[in-house]
Amino acid sequence: MKRIGVFICECGPNIAEKIDIDSIVKEVSSISGVEIAERYKLLCSKDGKEYLKEKIKENKLTHLVLGACSPKQHEKTFIKVCEEAGMNPYLCNLINIREQCAWMTPDREEATAKALRCIRAGIARVKYQQSLEKKYLESNVDILVIGGGITGLQTSLLLASDARKVYLVEKNPDLGGMVSSFKSLFEGGNVKSVVKEKMEKVLENKNIEVFTNSEVKDVLGFFGNFIAKIEKDNKITEVKTGAVVVATGCSLFDPGQIAKYKYGKLDDIYTSLEIEVMNMGGRIVLKNGREPQSVAIVHCVGREEKGYCSKICCSYSAKFHDYLREKNKDVEIHNLYYDLCTSQFERGRKDISVTRISDIEEITEESGKKHIEYLTGDGKKESVSVDMVILLPVIEPGKNVPELAAMLRIPLDARGFFAEEHVKLNPVATSLEGIYIAGCVQGPKNILESITQSEAVAGKILCSLIPGKKLEPEVMVSRIAPSLCTGCQTCLSVCSYGAIVFDRENGICVTNEMLCRGCGNCASACPSNAITHKHFTSRQIYQELTEVLYPSRSMKEQK
Amino acid sequence: MNNNNVLVVGAGIAGIEASLVLAQAGKSVHLVEREMCIGGNVIKYEDVFSNLECATCMIAPKQQELLANENITLLTLSEVTRVEGSKGDFTVSIKQKARYVSMEACIGCNACFDPCPVSLKNEFEENLCERKAIYTPCPGALPNVPRIDTDACLRFKGEDCNLCKEACMFEAIEYDQKDEDITLNVGEIILATGFRPLDPSKIPHYGYGNEDVYSAFEFERMYASNGPTQGNLVLKDGKTPSSAAVIFGVGVDDYRCPSSICTMYSLKYIYYLRHKLPEIKIAEFYREICVPCKSCGDFLRKMQETGSEFIRVEDIKVTDKKGSKEIVYKIEGGDEKTFTADMVIVASPMRPGNDAEKIAGIFGIPQLSDGFFAKQKDDISSVISGKDGIYIIGCAGGPKNIGESITEAQAAAGRILSLSYQTSGQ
Repeated sequence: MKRIGVFICECGPNIAEKIDIDSIVKEVSSISGVEIAERYKLLCSKDGKEYLKEKIKENKLTHLVLGACSPKQHEKTFIKVCEEAGMNPYLCNLINIREQCAWMTPDREEATAKALRCIRAGIARVKYQQSLEKKYLESNVDILVIGGGITGLQTSLLLASDARKVYLVEKNPDLGGMVSSFKSLFEGGNVKSVVKEKMEKVLENKNIEVFTNSEVKDVLGFFGNFIAKIEKDNKITEVKTGAVVVATGCSLFDPGQIAKYKYGKLDDIYTSLEIEVMNMGGRIVLKNGREPQSVAIVHCVGREEKGYCSKICCSYSAKFHDYLREKNKDVEIHNLYYDLCTSQFERGRKDISVTRISDIEEITEESGKKHIEYLTGDGKKESVSVDMVILLPVIEPGKNVPELAAMLRIPLDARGFFAEEHVKLNPVATSLEGIYIAGCVQGPKNILESITQSEAVAGKILCSLIPGKKLEPEVMVSRIAPSLCTGCQTCLSVCSYGAIVFDRENGICVTNEMLCRGCGNCASACPSNAITHKHFTSRQIYQELTEVLYPSRSMKEQK
Repeated sequence: MNNNNVLVVGAGIAGIEASLVLAQAGKSVHLVEREMCIGGNVIKYEDVFSNLECATCMIAPKQQELLANENITLLTLSEVTRVEGSKGDFTVSIKQKARYVSMEACIGCNACFDPCPVSLKNEFEENLCERKAIYTPCPGALPNVPRIDTDACLRFKGEDCNLCKEACMFEAIEYDQKDEDITLNVGEIILATGFRPLDPSKIPHYGYGNEDVYSAFEFERMYASNGPTQGNLVLKDGKTPSSAAVIFGVGVDDYRCPSSICTMYSLKYIYYLRHKLPEIKIAEFYREICVPCKSCGDFLRKMQETGSEFIRVEDIKVTDKKGSKEIVYKIEGGDEKTFTADMVIVASPMRPGNDAEKIAGIFGIPQLSDGFFAKQKDDISSVISGKDGIYIIGCAGGPKNIGESITEAQAAAGRILSLSYQTSGQ
């Protein structure tokens, strides 16, 4: 037996002056199921909330329709009132007759008519609303970190504690990643404290289990309850974790793909990473063993081809000047660039000479020197001859990224990097809750930014996976009726959260309620009407809309 | 001692995010904001680059969440005056100005605005329109509770006026409220005091000060649907501009020019102009185009395809010529050319907030030579300040976009939470 209470808030003069509340109360009182309809001066006030609670108890109300302000303002207020009065809050419908009627429609009669329709629609809908129960889920708070570079190391150190174990998986024999081949960092700090000390701390930490020479082969499950398979020496170790952090870094664009740079074809043409490695070895020398007297640094290699700027190359090229001059202070260095993405050159680095170009035409070898022909910014043909050419290739996603993305069920962006859940609001989360991305897997970044991301991942995890605290998954989720599903998998393609899987055995799709965030995409896409979105069922929406669009029809039906 | 209290200074997007993350983890957060509303600079924008998302739609849910969160105490109209102690045990003195409107009783209906007899320039709207002595800065501002500007209010000048009180149905106007001194004990402090754009009159060659030469924030507000022109791009004389110039990054080498941010928001202005006035002639003047994010390049290409002119210049000078603006510029190679526009928008670099020096003094933290707060040097991190227990996030530590500011907010929270786990767990 449904016992519906309808309460209209006067909101001081805001609603009372613009809408004839009495006539609405009178109209809705006669609707079947409506046990009580009343007006009240301010429902959100302390007195108003007490009044509502009393009315709910006194009249043994099962359903509630409130004509008041925007749910944005007071839905939470009234959810709390329902809970305190022992009513399921999903059986309460807050109708916005202030912002959408009283404040929008100047004519009192029209505003009243509109408000009446909205409230009737709310009553029609609430009859079909179902009580939903909150779920609580035990969670594992341990963490799997994939990638033992600077980002992965920092993430592990921040997360590991006596209450939380970290499994750190690195495919190479050693931790440290790309940064361990750098002699100095343009971001500041020194390599020793940034990488080496972190490596030592990670290895010493009893709450971090390190797997080197290892690969993550599979990750199953969902936020709070993942199971990961780690392969080392053909042996699989299974670990249970609550979240997964992907910090596998990046690769550099292969300049060999662009013929004009002659990379791999002529001697003494190097990539930036090769220079770092050479410098780490103590000498930057030509093939013939001699130090270069002149060097050209070619910026933006692959920028046009890849379609984006890597942002850090301008900055680290300044560091290369130091590398070279440390060994030969008279070395002549030319920078050929398209756009400067830093003000470092202007800032205190008057010793750096830059030439803006619009294109590199050709690199040839002439009497032992590399001869670079280029077009200047204003289109003039010029050239320079140097002993050594350093190419600064753009950063690109690591080779294993597509495979990793498929395994983790998270999407890539248009450039092949991992896509963040929201570029601005949730930059280290992915569409799959509990899987986080940090560092260059998400896009080109300097070390400082990578570390910031690892700290941010720690923040996201530490505030959501708390030892001893249960998780509360979304309640308004979708459900697929097995008898109606034809297994067409349309829903799979519209789900952004990896919440739907295809059950091969039964030939149907199934929603994982722990992953579903209740967006409703699948329910609207399903051609067989097999998917119900709890709290937004077709029937609820149909009843509501019918009442808004054809009030006369339903009134007639009632009579 | 494990102190569960954290102080966050500045309720812009970074401060809001840091507060939410810490509160979710069970920390007790005290968020101090100097202004009457929260949201910082982001609430001034209509759309944000590079996806042209609506800024309000993005930030409003976070604002609502913040206001409803029981672990967060929001102190608006408040400033920190003194900080003593050290990490784990800071004693913070705060001065909170009276709002003269009850946060509990007011429902935000704005019925008190109309009767107020005083009108004055609205600073939030870059003085492009007026407000009353009792006001909210713009429609949609949160918390949606006005304040009385006692410098302008007749009653506070000794006259016998209580028109706002008469208009209020909820007895929310409280003339007898007093400023309050609040003392807090907190374990950590996060500074998220944000930025301001460089005053364009500091770049004389941009011609700011002439009619229809607009600063970035003036243009943002003009484009905003809740702004002084309801989003209509009009000249001072009410006419629609038929040509516009956007200038950024030319001759500002002395500033730590956030080249990427200036580039991106200037590109957004092409969208703003083209979106509202499809036929308008646009020239974008720049020194370098710096679009360093994975989706920024696509945004640049999209804007280049709008039929707007992109002109790389070495030097530029804007002067007023009988109403229209004459822009004389030098291109690479040295040729001088002229472009005439009805409207000029100058996109200036980000600078530290006005009170950065004062704040640095109060909190005892070092500044960089350009005034932004310095980060510590030993262990590389972008959120740890030069003083133990104090963190710096968002634009307080240097120019940043929204995503980067949010990341830093989560990062500072991560640092603080990690610390409390590691100390309590061992």
